[in-house]
Amino acid sequence: MAHPQIAAFARLANGGQTPSRRIYGQTSMLSRTMHDIRYNSVDDEILVPNPFSNAILTFRGGADGQEPPIRIIQGPNTELNGPDRLDIDVVHREIFVPGRGNVLVFPLDGNGDVRPKRVIRGPDTQVDGSSIAVDPLHNLFATTGRDQSILVFDRTANGNAKPLHVIRGPNTQIDRINQMAIYPAGKLLVVAMPGVQGAMEPPRVFVGMWSLDDDGDVAPKWTITGKQTGLKKPFAVALNPEHKEIYVTDMRLNGVMTFSVPEIFKPVAERAASAGQR
Amino acid sequence: MALKRNGSWLVISAVLAVTALMMLRLVAAVPQEVRSRIAAAFQVHTREGNVDKKPVRYIKDPNPAWSSIAVNAEHDMVVMTDENLFRVVEYSRLDNTPPKARFTEPKRIIGGDQTRMEMLCGAYIDPKTLDVYVTNNDTQDWMPVFSKNAKGNVAPDRLLATPHRTWGIVGDETRQELYMTIQFPSAVIVYRKTAAGNDAPLRLLEGDATELADPHGIALDLKNDLIIVSNHGHRRFYGGAAVSTLTETWEQWIGKSTADLNGLPRRYLPGLGKFEMPSINIYTRSASGNTAPVRVIKGPMTQLNWPSHVAVHEERGEIFVANDADDSILVFRTSDTGDVAPTRVIKGPKTRVKNPTGLSLDVKNGELWVANMGNFAATVFPVTANGDVAPLRVIRGGPADQIGLMIGNPGAVGYDSKRQQILVPN
Repeated sequence: MAHPQIAAFARLANGGQTPSRRIYGQTSMLSRTMHDIRYNSVDDEILVPNPFSNAILTFRGGADGQEPPIRIIQGPNTELNGPDRLDIDVVHREIFVPGRGNVLVFPLDGNGDVRPKRVIRGPDTQVDGSSIAVDPLHNLFATTGRDQSILVFDRTANGNAKPLHVIRGPNTQIDRINQMAIYPAGKLLVVAMPGVQGAMEPPRVFVGMWSLDDDGDVAPKWTITGKQTGLKKPFAVALNPEHKEIYVTDMRLNGVMTFSVPEIFKPVAERAASAGQR
Repeated sequence: MALKRNGSWLVISAVLAVTALMMLRLVAAVPQEVRSRIAAAFQVHTREGNVDKKPVRYIKDPNPAWSSIAVNAEHDMVVMTDENLFRVVEYSRLDNTPPKARFTEPKRIIGGDQTRMEMLCGAYIDPKTLDVYVTNNDTQDWMPVFSKNAKGNVAPDRLLATPHRTWGIVGDETRQELYMTIQFPSAVIVYRKTAAGNDAPLRLLEGDATELADPHGIALDLKNDLIIVSNHGHRRFYGGAAVSTLTETWEQWIGKSTADLNGLPRRYLPGLGKFEMPSINIYTRSASGNTAPVRVIKGPMTQLNWPSHVAVHEERGEIFVANDADDSILVFRTSDTGDVAPTRVIKGPKTRVKNPTGLSLDVKNGELWVANMGNFAATVFPVTANGDVAPLRVIRGGPADQIGLMIGNPGAVGYDSKRQQILVPN
């Protein structure tokens, strides 16, 4: 990309509406391509990885213009190896960073050359570590595994831990996984699936959703895809449970779509009750 | 049950077919009808339902995002790459968009799913054949080459497999070589100009001594036999020369499948990374391996702020820098070194320079061309321009009263619940 930036658009922005603010420039320390961004609603902060400088950057939530990060995790003790994605757990105050075959866990307020609190690594983990999402409510995290799989771990897993669940197989229809997000109340994992790498308009793309209790070769519970959606290469997802919306960025369109999907924003208890009534 | 089996067979067949086509790199050549059948076979199945409805809102810039520019004065030819709509667009050198016009219609547009172009960042025009060479920085690890007659949604006349994150490009017509920058692992890669397919590069400039740090623009000073490279300053360390983890030949590695083109496989010192100041690094033209620059322009006096494309005016002995995040064009002497102020700065409201990422020189007519991503305009200045000066001409690809969203490959999205804002990083 010729121009790195973080653009913040009003929730109701539509069409060519300009962003409300942008974070950019040399002092921001941003590089392309940021494959993850998380907003910390408790401390009002924004976190992004910088793979080229081996760093995790934390900005003020209201950062604007050529503003520097307020904290940087970087250094030989961090074990960071081209961090590409991350997620945060604001309840237990941790940052989860998937790496090449591992997951590093840092304190949420970590700064400088800090050692990870935990490292999930080893043959039993099956971790490939290209994407991640954390569920602080059920003490779980999901990450990507070998052979196009989704692995669900206990949040406190450490070392050569085995995943609690492995979602893998032809019924999952996983070609490639990009950004993940979790709706904790629904125990629901939402995943951007941009299709096979390298194809300009891959034949199978979707936003897929699985229960964090799912295991084995299972199809997604829900998907967002099809002609009406206009999706061509969904790269990323973010959730807004308050307004029951999913935000999806599409690489092929260079755009951001908002889908109103109240049907998926149902807490687990509510789902169980409605299933019982049926 | 029979239906299920049939569906599975269709899916398996389609997977095999697409995999085979990917391996052969022929997907772009598959007729639309066949692709539609494949798409039907890839219908996603779910347990509780599929949501197939229009988005309630869709943020999308309808205008181009000019990322690079190349000019051929002899044929009045101006080519720009559009990173938003994934197009190569050609204008006449003398086009000038009237103030009230929405935009100027290009002479030709190359774009579409047959072109192998997405995140375009660099352009080079062959001065003899007028072929256009473009670099894909992401999502398509190819350098497509289009003839002067190419138009519309056409397959490239030639494709060269290039490493992931290739950015700038420049040609050496004397030696028939192409020079390109790779953002990460930071490198300058040199190919034969006629290279195609999985051809290996002639040489690589890479390693700690090079001080390359997220290199972007590249230019040649053939009078002084130099390479000029702009850097954003993001750096990893190898512990000396670059150590490749390749266990096979270049052709084998790069030719296996597109999924393997995720970057030059390199071994680094664990955990190390650094934010350096942006710089203009100057190397001897034939530099390769872990070779130090002969000079580096770097420091607070330079005003460098995300320096993008660069160009050299050999007769004037000047380096022109598109200074993206400062809305400016900086001019240095090719002999400059260290923390020096630019000799001239083109900047200010009259210039209409807004997030300039592309830059090219027309030596014959004494003009400097700037591609502005921030306002989808190409602005033309005399090469001697200085300060807050109005451009000689402007070619706009969108309305004068709008600015660009500059969304490029949005690989992530977040939601700021406090401000009710959608966060979109590039």
